[in-house]
Amino acid sequence: MRSTLRQMSMHRALYLMIIPVIAYFAVFVYYPLYEGIIASFQKFNLLGNRPWIGWENYSTAWNDPAFWQVVRNTLLIGGGILILGFLPPIVIALSLNELRLSIFKKFTQTAVYLPHLFSWVVIGGIWIYLLSPRGGLVNEILALFGADPVRFLTNSTWARATMILVPIWKDMGYAAIIYLASITAINPSLYEAARIDGASRFQQAYQITLPLLKPTMKVVLMLNVLGLLRIFDQIYVMRNPVVQRKIDVLMTFVYDKGIQQYNVGYASAISVMVLLATLALTAVVWRVTGFGREG
Amino acid sequence: MVKPSGTTTGKSDGATLTKAETGAGEHSFQWLNVVFMGLLAAVMIIPFLNVLAVAFSSRLTSLETGIKLWPSEWSVDGFTTVWINIGLQQAFINSVIVTTIGTTLHVLLSAFAAYVLIQRNLPGKRLLIAFIIATMAIPGELIMIPLFIVNKNLGLLNTLAALVFSGLVSGFSILLLRNYFQSVPYDLWESAKIDGAGDFHVFRTIYLPLSQAGLATIALFELVGRWNQFLPVILYISDSSKYTLQVALQALVSPEMATSGTSMITPNVQMAGIVIAVLPLIILYPFMQKYFVQGITLGSVKE
Repeated sequence: MRSTLRQMSMHRALYLMIIPVIAYFAVFVYYPLYEGIIASFQKFNLLGNRPWIGWENYSTAWNDPAFWQVVRNTLLIGGGILILGFLPPIVIALSLNELRLSIFKKFTQTAVYLPHLFSWVVIGGIWIYLLSPRGGLVNEILALFGADPVRFLTNSTWARATMILVPIWKDMGYAAIIYLASITAINPSLYEAARIDGASRFQQAYQITLPLLKPTMKVVLMLNVLGLLRIFDQIYVMRNPVVQRKIDVLMTFVYDKGIQQYNVGYASAISVMVLLATLALTAVVWRVTGFGREG
Repeated sequence: MVKPSGTTTGKSDGATLTKAETGAGEHSFQWLNVVFMGLLAAVMIIPFLNVLAVAFSSRLTSLETGIKLWPSEWSVDGFTTVWINIGLQQAFINSVIVTTIGTTLHVLLSAFAAYVLIQRNLPGKRLLIAFIIATMAIPGELIMIPLFIVNKNLGLLNTLAALVFSGLVSGFSILLLRNYFQSVPYDLWESAKIDGAGDFHVFRTIYLPLSQAGLATIALFELVGRWNQFLPVILYISDSSKYTLQVALQALVSPEMATSGTSMITPNVQMAGIVIAVLPLIILYPFMQKYFVQGITLGSVKE
């Protein structure tokens, strides 16, 4: 005990260095987490007293069709991004890797990666404009083929599809760079041996590259699952009253209920459920993919 | 000589090729791949060309329909309108303030914590690491409501300080820097200690200079993240003179705006706003490319 105390006083400078970080996490992560869990059991409208109401906020959510609607939207949009967005980065990485002209390779790589760097306000703003039925680039191109203008953001089916496709467009370059780095790290002698055995390029990709990319696929999948239920910015920026009901997700619902309508207790209960769902989903993916076991 | 291709980065056009790779099938494969990648690049680039063309168009030509990849009538009207009349200037300044102060503090505090976590005989280190790693499982979006209340109680609502405090330090940055610090030979630490140097001195004269790549990586991640910061701004700021660029821009490009053609906000104004918002990132990109790829791959593997 004494020696522990002496060691602690010896390390005074170290404790001084870490205290701001501890204090920050305590005030801006752990306390809000605690406060959020408590508020989820209270009737709390930001002002006035906060009576304890037990599970009422949770049962309100259970019986609220608007809640189930945003759950469905989140799963459709988030799941759509997860599934449809899985393959493009891999295909892009494989193709980029085959490019011989390094300047073209670098250019394409930068071009695919660039949108990931920009905010959702920028990307959303660009696509709202591109998809506009009056003079938007996409509809102008469709018009070249004699198609009628499509109301991408005011027709609910199209709006949902847009909410899935635009994030894939934005973020596929990011995942592609992760894959490309893994491909580059594969031992060249494996390909050499395969070629001596007469394996074609596609056989090489299928038999060597893809199996060796499996750990990276798991990492990317994990990252995407973690983000699935947390989608916010893209919807907030691109939504409009016409399609809002069909594309609002859990986090925009929480924002609207808690911040716009001061229904803090109810919004907190939904946040707690989403947090638990994210942890559960992560655990499931963790188990299914065997992530962390054999890497 | 058999030269492995399709695997190494430093592959040149003049590489010696095996028979399979010089055949007709190989030739057409290469062509198809180039066409495919060219199409991909076009899908990525054309939207931005469209944005640039409209941003530099005059008010009237920006309202015309048609495919616009080049301004038919050059003008910087959009830029002057959005910068001065709409007042994006103030929002831009706010963003610069929040981004620079926030990034500096973030790097400093993360480095402090990372240095503490590499100490070998520190009582309570395991607990500290657990305390920090656990924060990574709690995403900011999921505690936005209580965070709003905390900021309200601390009197931070409608201040730029609230935005600086949002993400002031992160478990991810601490762990990433810890990796860099761990690669500094521990002998250096020991000999400095034997010479009687204090921890802060060792940190400043040995660890910071030897981990510049790590510091640059998190600084650049943070710069981009803070420049693009959105949810904290709409949570904590309601006074429009305190808006950051992203939120001021959002009001400009929102769908309701995009469909009303009569206001001052014509497409050239909107697109000029977008160009202004991405310009700092485009200027930074060449410098950060190296660290970025490094950070992405490191971060994804270590998580």
